[in-house]
Amino acid sequence: MGETLLEIRNLKKYFRTGAGMLHAVDDLSFKIPKGKTIGVVGESGCGKSTLGRTILRLHEATSGEIWFQGQDILKADKRRMKEIRPKMQMIFQDPYSSLNGRMTVRQLIAEPLIVNKICRSRREIDEKVDEIMETVGLSQRLSMSYPHELDGGRRQRIGVARALVLDPEFVVCDEPVSALDVSIQAQILNLLMDLQEQRDLTYLFITHDLSVVKHISDEIMVMYLGQCVEMGPSQAVFDSPAHPYTEALLAAIPIPSIESKHKRRTLLQGEVSTPINPGKGCRFAPRCPRATEVCRVQEMKLREVGDHHYSAALCQNREYS
Amino acid sequence: MSDEKKLLEVKDLSIAYQTDLETVHAVNHVTFSLNQGETLGLVGETGAGKTTTALGIMGLLPKRTAKITSGNVYYEGKDLLQCGKKEMLGIRGSSISMIFQDPMTALNPVLCVGDQIAETLQLHNAKHLTREEIEAKVDETLELVGIPKERKKEYPYQFSGGMRQRVVIAMALINDPSLLIADEPTTALDVTIQAQILSMICELQRKYKTAVMMITHDLGIVAETCDKVAVMYAGEIVEYGTLEDIFTGDRHHPYTVGLFGSIPSLTRSARRLQPIEGLMPDPTQLPEGCAFAERCRYCQEICRTTKAPVQNDHGHLVRCYFEGQPFAGEED
Repeated sequence: MGETLLEIRNLKKYFRTGAGMLHAVDDLSFKIPKGKTIGVVGESGCGKSTLGRTILRLHEATSGEIWFQGQDILKADKRRMKEIRPKMQMIFQDPYSSLNGRMTVRQLIAEPLIVNKICRSRREIDEKVDEIMETVGLSQRLSMSYPHELDGGRRQRIGVARALVLDPEFVVCDEPVSALDVSIQAQILNLLMDLQEQRDLTYLFITHDLSVVKHISDEIMVMYLGQCVEMGPSQAVFDSPAHPYTEALLAAIPIPSIESKHKRRTLLQGEVSTPINPGKGCRFAPRCPRATEVCRVQEMKLREVGDHHYSAALCQNREYS
Repeated sequence: MSDEKKLLEVKDLSIAYQTDLETVHAVNHVTFSLNQGETLGLVGETGAGKTTTALGIMGLLPKRTAKITSGNVYYEGKDLLQCGKKEMLGIRGSSISMIFQDPMTALNPVLCVGDQIAETLQLHNAKHLTREEIEAKVDETLELVGIPKERKKEYPYQFSGGMRQRVVIAMALINDPSLLIADEPTTALDVTIQAQILSMICELQRKYKTAVMMITHDLGIVAETCDKVAVMYAGEIVEYGTLEDIFTGDRHHPYTVGLFGSIPSLTRSARRLQPIEGLMPDPTQLPEGCAFAERCRYCQEICRTTKAPVQNDHGHLVRCYFEGQPFAGEED
């Protein structure tokens, strides 16, 4: 594996709620190699968005370390953070609500440059904005339009432009295509992949759509109730899922081909339980078809099951057993 | 197939929304039919007119703005569009019912779910059930959709998204409808819950021989649940046929081809998707010719000026001059 851009060690983010501590991100450790995409998948409420936001310090982490450019950014002071922020950007989920409706496209894209005091003159800002608009495929005639005049795909292109105008190294993409129609979704996915190639970007790609994640990611992390249950190279995770949850998730996707009409699949029973004050033992155990007594009491640890492929399950899939 | 009884027949249906400034042509000359016990998938992107078609059949279009400009909707031989208000009230919710997209907003937050389900039954109390019998029927229906009957005194906020959708389905099913319109029933749900809900709908359909009109944008859901498929684009059905016609075979509308090319596949690994460039035409100013012409790579001069006739190949209908293109996504 190549150079590591970002290393996360024992990251935890708990929220205090009336009912107790909500374990949104619970003890995650992983490395993100430079120029690669790591996909984070899971159902709603599993902590994937919190993870992305905590890495960027939009939420303050409860504990843990995030190493970026030889420094633990969780310990960085305000001034140092200001230097780091432009290098780590985020593309938000909903292009309908993440853009200020009273700013024009040009203003929206120029805003990060102004806030971070990147450019010295008005002209420099204009040049940068023009350049990035062309890169993300927004035509010049739109520069004076307001977001409400544009469709979802174009709005998301503004979101991409805002993140990339600062020339970041690392971008957290939080469900960037889930609010879009399939034909537009494909355009944005292609754009993100082209940009990664041109600019050697590193993505943390958060999504609930497994086919999207498979398409774009080099590595995949599957989350369940704040914990990582499986992690590994994209191909390995999809071809031979080692954790029963990953297996169930894969089985649940409707596949657009004629064979799926007569497919009998094993359905996951029940629903995601609460992340508030979770007990010991595997958090997936109540829904797991293969759970045993041990699963309910023993602390789960990630174990290597293949080449760079880790799983938190005690039982092993046939592939590796 | 012609010997089966046609339950629903939509003929040449057009619906427009009229405002002071402009007219939105949401549904244009849509024709399809549905037999008893069959599932029809209505696929298309946002703004294709899927939901408007469903609301038109149900008679739920907003009165002030929406106008049905042409067509008929026959249900068991009777034209629903000619039905009076009272007659429609009798049909809606009992013989034809609908599952709405968003279970978070489709329920009344101040009524407990048991009462909401019972309401549907009380309104259409054709068999003159007593209160106890209604209660028993509610319990039975709750059990059917997988909600323990002890929870019927709870309020919607106490339920998760998947459970709420089950409540909505229970309301739709309690009168044993012969036609169920499911408008994106699982779009707001997680995949594992989606799988539960879909298999439940299919099972109930098999049991009660209900016809289902499944509105969705997900071709995967279509492949798993439908017998017939209608692909909608800009208010028109551009391709119509059996599941086999749409998913296999080599004659397709270019839009269907584009739709398949846009989905990242779990089984094949193409490094680049083949999206449809451009956007759907503005429904206030639909082009004279083919609505897809602007985005179509096979587009010729004739496409821009005249609407293509429907090509019929043993019931597989394609509205295009140049249909017969192979799937772009399968060239690898």
